[in-house]
Amino acid sequence: MSFIKAIRWMVWKDLITEMRSRETLVSMLFFALIVILVFSFSFSMDHQAARELLAGIIWVAFAFTGIIGLGKSFLAELHNDCLEYLQMSPAPKGAIYLGKMTANFLFMLLAEVVLFPLFIIFFNLDVVEEIWILLVVFLLATEGLAAVGTLFSALTVQIRAREVMLPVLLLPMVIPVMIAAVESTRGALNGEPFALYSQWFHLLGVFDLIFTVVSYWLFELILDT
Amino acid sequence: MIALSIVQLSKTYGHYRVLDQLSLDIPSRHCFALFGPNGAGKTTLMRILATLTRPSSGQFRIWGYDGVTEKARVRQLVMYLAHGTHLYDDLNAIENLRFCLALRGIIPSDSQIKRALDRVQIGPFGHMQTRYFSAGMKKRLGLAKAILARPKVLLLDEPYTSLDERGIAIMNAFIQETIQREGAVLMTTHDREHTRQVANHMGILHSGVLRTFPPHELSTYVVY
Repeated sequence: MSFIKAIRWMVWKDLITEMRSRETLVSMLFFALIVILVFSFSFSMDHQAARELLAGIIWVAFAFTGIIGLGKSFLAELHNDCLEYLQMSPAPKGAIYLGKMTANFLFMLLAEVVLFPLFIIFFNLDVVEEIWILLVVFLLATEGLAAVGTLFSALTVQIRAREVMLPVLLLPMVIPVMIAAVESTRGALNGEPFALYSQWFHLLGVFDLIFTVVSYWLFELILDT
Repeated sequence: MIALSIVQLSKTYGHYRVLDQLSLDIPSRHCFALFGPNGAGKTTLMRILATLTRPSSGQFRIWGYDGVTEKARVRQLVMYLAHGTHLYDDLNAIENLRFCLALRGIIPSDSQIKRALDRVQIGPFGHMQTRYFSAGMKKRLGLAKAILARPKVLLLDEPYTSLDERGIAIMNAFIQETIQREGAVLMTTHDREHTRQVANHMGILHSGVLRTFPPHELSTYVVY
């Protein structure tokens, strides 16, 4: 079957089921909201301190929110043995991976789009001039998290302690993404010249490329075992 | 032409041997019914043939394609209706059919879907989410999927479970249809009466060992 069509059907299925159940997005948003509230009450920051620390806070919130969504991604496939159907279907397994990854990417990005304005409000930020750079950072870093996270979600879904194992395995793997995302976001929020932190963009791009390709090749192996 | 060929197939889980050197040929236009007590290894065999589990040793071929090294080809030819329904509760019946068939590279028209749903007598429920379906309706929807997919080899794991008499008749009619169009069917079952109507070869699996027998000896062999 057409590779692109298989990806499209996987994304369609995940979006439709999420639109009807709202299980993943609601969990992600509530969790992230609590994280923002906890941070905003824990740190009373002036404008400059907020710009220094906020990049880390934002990406901690985004990463853990993403893990909530990634954890549910393949869990839904266990119900009624649907994972078994994906495994024995003749559809290219790489297409199934890319479909799931795209859906995870969209859910995480949607959560970030909803949450970031809350950060602006709670921490009194002015990001009008840096918004486009921040948007690119969000896109690149979220792609990296989704690429590795989708693979690890498939890997851990049949393990009894999957809720613990997913973050334990995933977070060390995405440390380069987290560092690059935090440094890029900090540079943008501080209004630094782009040249000063552009190397982190390159790291994000290279990480995305390598880990998307590696995850794509490993996915079939994981699904078949 | 041999549709399904199993040669010296074994499966072990740790020290427990579930299938022991099992060999079987099912020609096209044949339906083989496999009986056996719980835990005999029937579902394990089905899962191996559906490429869900690797055999520990031996091999099997589907229409000449090796089941381990040519999985992609085998998966195009085989359809496995298992205990699990393989349905997404948040999708309706039509959406489930469209999605599952799309992964097999089949895009049925609206009228084909309607005909398949009508044939399994759940036509009025096409737009209902399958979370509200009974077990029998889910089984019928699985059958509608197979009707539209027209597999060359049909693997049925206890196909009559949850079905009423009408549903069983529809299932048997589809088995007959698969046989008539040069396909082959392997089914596991405990239901002698309904199986007798469609199966032309039979066997009993006990402690991982297969013994075949002609259908007229069914009542003699199937005691466990």
